Amino acid sequence: MIFELTEEQGLIRDMVREFAEKEVAPSARERDENERFDRELMFGRLAELGLTGIVFPEEYGGAGADYISYAIAVEELSRVCASTGVTLSAHLSLGANPIYLFGTEEQKHKWLAPLAKGEKMGAFGLTEPSAGSDAGGTRTTAVPEGDGWRVNGTKIFITNGGEAETYIVFARTDRTAEKHHGISAFVIEKGTPGFSFGKKEEKMGIRSSPTMELVFENCLIPKENMLGKEGEGFKVAMKTLDGGRIGIASQALGIAQGALDAAVNYAKERKQFDSPICRFQGIQFQLADMATQVEAARLMVYNAAYRASKGVSYSQQSAMAKLMASETAMKVATQAVQILGGYGYTREFPVERMMRDAKITEIYEGTSEVQRIVIGSALTR
Amino acid sequence: MKILVCIKQVPDMESKFKVAAEGTWYDNQDLAWRMNEYDEYAVEQAVRLKEQVGDADLTVLSIGSDKVKETMKKALAMGCDRGAHIADDAAWNKEPFQVAGIIAEYARDKGFDVIFTGMQSQDRGSGQVGVLVAEMLELPSVSTIVDFGYEAGTIIAKRELEGGIKAKVKVQAPAVVTCQLGLNTPRYPTLPNIMKAKKKELLSIPVAELLKVNARMETANMFFPEKKGGGLVLEGEAGELADRLISILKDKTTVLK
Repeated sequence: MIFELTEEQGLIRDMVREFAEKEVAPSARERDENERFDRELMFGRLAELGLTGIVFPEEYGGAGADYISYAIAVEELSRVCASTGVTLSAHLSLGANPIYLFGTEEQKHKWLAPLAKGEKMGAFGLTEPSAGSDAGGTRTTAVPEGDGWRVNGTKIFITNGGEAETYIVFARTDRTAEKHHGISAFVIEKGTPGFSFGKKEEKMGIRSSPTMELVFENCLIPKENMLGKEGEGFKVAMKTLDGGRIGIASQALGIAQGALDAAVNYAKERKQFDSPICRFQGIQFQLADMATQVEAARLMVYNAAYRASKGVSYSQQSAMAKLMASETAMKVATQAVQILGGYGYTREFPVERMMRDAKITEIYEGTSEVQRIVIGSALTR
Repeated sequence: MKILVCIKQVPDMESKFKVAAEGTWYDNQDLAWRMNEYDEYAVEQAVRLKEQVGDADLTVLSIGSDKVKETMKKALAMGCDRGAHIADDAAWNKEPFQVAGIIAEYARDKGFDVIFTGMQSQDRGSGQVGVLVAEMLELPSVSTIVDFGYEAGTIIAKRELEGGIKAKVKVQAPAVVTCQLGLNTPRYPTLPNIMKAKKKELLSIPVAELLKVNARMETANMFFPEKKGGGLVLEGEAGELADRLISILKDKTTVLK
C-alpha cells in the first residue's frame, strides 16, 4: 500500500490549487455576500480545464482520470470557495454520474457527453417536501401517456437548480408498489414545457451556489428519457449517492483544510503578550488536533475514492469518509473562528464563511445520521 | 521547426529559507518546488509559437535530480512534445557558465530554430544562462523580452529597458530569447493534457555526457543580510509631529531638497 499521489494527481492538485487561489478565491467573499452564482467562473472555467468530466472515459467527453483526482479537484476548489466545490460535485456526481452508471449507449452520447465537456450543467432532483432522508416518500408522479410520461410534483433544495440544463428526476411510476419499488429515474431537460423553477432558497452558507425548487406541472417527456429500468429509481438514487458522498466529503475536507490554513497563518502573525500566539501551547495543541483530524479525514476520503476507481464496493467507506470529513469541517472551522477571535467573527476574514459553509456538509447528500445508518446497517447485516 | 525551452525547478518563494550546512547554498529540505516563474513565460511562448507554425517539435530541457521531472511534466502538460532531463544531483552547485555549457552541448547540432529560457532563475538570479547559451552556440540573443512575434524566420521581440522604455528588436532565427514578466499569461495545464503528458517521451541523459566546461566562479559563502533596526515611530501632538517629520526628511533624505 502506497500513500503517495501519482504524478498526474500531483499535477492536478497543483493546477487546481493555482486556479482556485488566483481566480476563484478573490471573488469568494463578494459572491457569498451577494448570493451570486458566477456561471463563467464557477463552471465555464472548470470546463475549459477539463474538470467537468474528470472521471468519465474520453469517448464520453471526459478526461479519463480517477476518483482521487476528482476528490482532489473538489477539495482544492472548496479550500477557497465551498460553493464552487459543490457546483462541480453536484454536476459531476449527481447530474452526470447516474447517466454514466445507468444510461444506455445512446443516452450517454446524448446527455453524458455534453455534461462531461461542460457544455451543459447537471443537477439531481430527489428531495421533496415529504421525502428527504426517506426517499421512499417520493410523491412526484410519472404517469404513462401516449409515447411518454406525464410528470407532476415538486422537488426542493436542488443544488445547481435553475442554472443546470440537465436534471435527473425521481418520480413514482407505480402507486401500488411498496415504498421503494415504484420509483423510476428520468432525465428532464430545462426548457421542457411544464418544467419550471420555484423559489430560490436563502441559505446560511454556500450562498454563491444556487439552490432552487423544481416544479413539474403536466410535464410531458418522451419514454426514452427514463434512466435505468422502470421501478428501479431507488437503486439509481442510492448508487448515485454513494458516489456523491465522495464529492461532499471532498468538499468538507477542502473547507477544513482552508480553515486550518487560515488559523495557522493567523496564529503565526498575531502577537499577544509580546509573542506570536502560535507559541502558546494552548493554541499549538488546538492546531495540532485540527491538523490531525484533517489528515485522518483526507486518508478516509482518498481511500473511498481509491475503492471507487478500483471498482470495489465503497458504499460503507464513502459513508464513513463523508461522516468524518463533514464533522471535521464543522469542528475545525469553528475552532478556526475561535483562534482568530474577534477577527474570526468578522466577514473580513474567510473563516466565518467556512464555518457557515461547513454546516451543510453534515446535512446534504445524506445527513450524518443517515451516514451512521448506512455504516451501522452494513456492520450488522 | 524545432523549438527548445529550458526550465528550472526552484523552491516556492514563499518558503522559509535556511542556509545549508556547507554554507554556499540554501538548505533544500522541506521545501515545496515549482517551475521558475520566468520559465513559465518561456514555456507558454514556446507552446504558442508551436501552435502558430503548426509543424513544430518542442523539447523541454531541465537539469537536476529526478525530482525536476515533476516540473517537466507540467511543461509537457502545457504542450511541450518531449522532455530532455539532464540527470545531475549536484545541479544546485553548478555555476551559470557550466549550466549554459551543458545546455549548449545538448543543443549543438540539433538544429533548434528558437531557444526560449527565462530571463533569470528565482533562486540564483544570475540572468546569465540564456545569453551564455547563445554565445556558446554562436547565435544571436534577445534578453528580457515582453513581447514575441514570429514571421517567416524572423523574430520580432519587444525588450524591456530601464524606466519603462521598450525596444523593438528584429532578429533572424536561429536565436535565443530570454523571457520576462509581462510576456504572456501562462496557461493552466488542462486535465486531458495532464493525462496525455504521461505518454510523452522524457529521456534522461547523464550530465557527464554534456558537461565539457569548467566552473569559472565559485560561491564563497551564502548569508542573510544583517538585520537593520526597526522603523522610527514618532509620538506626540500633530503639529509638533509634522515639524519633526519635516526636519527628519530634510536631514536624512533628499525629498525636500
